[in-house]
Amino acid sequence: MDAIRDTDLILYHYRDGLSADELAAIGHALSASAALRARYAALQATLLAADAVPVPAADTEFERRIWQRWEAQTEAGPSDRRHAIEPRTDRRPRHRAGTRALLRVVGGALALVAALGVGFLLGRQPAGPMLTAGTGTGSPPATTQRDIATRVLDAYVVAHLRETEGVVLTAVNSDNAALLAGNRELAAGLLESNRLYAQAATRAGNARLANFLQQLEPLLIELANPAPTDAIQGSDGLRDYVDKTDLLFQLRATQARIEPQRPTSI
Amino acid sequence: MTVDDERVARARNGDRDAFRRLVEGETRPLYAVAARITRDAALAEDAVQEALFNAWRHLRDFDGRANFKTWLHRITVNAALEQLRRRSGREQFLADAAQTDDGAEDFLAAHADDLPGPEQLAGGREIGLKVQAQLDRMTHLERSAFVLRHHEGQSLEEICGVLAINVSACKQAIFRAVRKLRGALEPLR
Repeated sequence: MDAIRDTDLILYHYRDGLSADELAAIGHALSASAALRARYAALQATLLAADAVPVPAADTEFERRIWQRWEAQTEAGPSDRRHAIEPRTDRRPRHRAGTRALLRVVGGALALVAALGVGFLLGRQPAGPMLTAGTGTGSPPATTQRDIATRVLDAYVVAHLRETEGVVLTAVNSDNAALLAGNRELAAGLLESNRLYAQAATRAGNARLANFLQQLEPLLIELANPAPTDAIQGSDGLRDYVDKTDLLFQLRATQARIEPQRPTSI
Repeated sequence: MTVDDERVARARNGDRDAFRRLVEGETRPLYAVAARITRDAALAEDAVQEALFNAWRHLRDFDGRANFKTWLHRITVNAALEQLRRRSGREQFLADAAQTDDGAEDFLAAHADDLPGPEQLAGGREIGLKVQAQLDRMTHLERSAFVLRHHEGQSLEEICGVLAINVSACKQAIFRAVRKLRGALEPLR
């Protein structure tokens, strides 16, 4: 073997991409040459440095989120297993989707009422004393109440955005008729709560979130009432739209902004 | 028949619980490989999500020749790459593959005697940050090829299949990645 290059040493290290003769030649050369051994040690140090970088770890809620979305994505059954699913399961997701949609609207309304209620109470309180923590009156200070109201609303909005993301992903990726039918119902339910949260965000003075939610509305309308065209064309068009508008990224970025404890980069 | 084989069989027949039991111990390792490739927590999570969905949908395509977990890892790697392609555009990914051979020049010999030892590497926060910066500097292709070769132990041939590139491009991507990593140790001399 001619002069041994760094690229040869890298392949030698992984014992990959070299013939047995080449491997043997490099092995002999390493035994014979201190300079080559120094280069090989430099390679090993470099790779060791890569090993020393901590393995990225997910946060504690990772599994819960993953399986929650997986349940939502798959409850109508995998697309290529439609023959293995009993007929009754075709109706079950629709029922579940309808119930969930109703619960979502009720939940959203309650969150809205809670947020507005706390806001209303805050408006009736004199500002000075309420802004002082630990007054001994037994009632939490106004900032705490406002924080609670904000957190309640934020938690609902984050869950709403996650579900919207799941619906978009399903619409883009799935070709299962039953799953898409359930997805349409989910989108219809999300449409109602989307309006509620947009109103709540406007009232809370969060124009950025309100605008984003308002931008989601036409998409949710489209997902809830897809045009009766060819399914492939429809999903391709939606995929293009999602890609061009970077919608999924925006959804995740908005979630991350509202939920600051969740890391967005490693 | 192993417990996993039995669960695979049940999951193929639509048993969601069996699928979940089969996979739930793997989600964090899957996240780790996706995060190493994407360098982004949200993209890594999306990749795992997409991988689980795809694995469930295409369970019938799993022919049992490979270990189920190996199959699942491959799906996750593909999902992570797909996330990167969606984020940066397919053109950029292909442009990475078309880069000229700038990894051919030798770089290991420079100041080889002054490199930090294993203990410094393991405990050195400064070195760790520099390595992370170099990982961020890598193109998607370089980082993917390096992660698959170095951390996932895949062969060049397997990596070529996953990344849809030829062996030469695959080698060059790994060389360039190692070269960039080597740059993280240079200032320490």
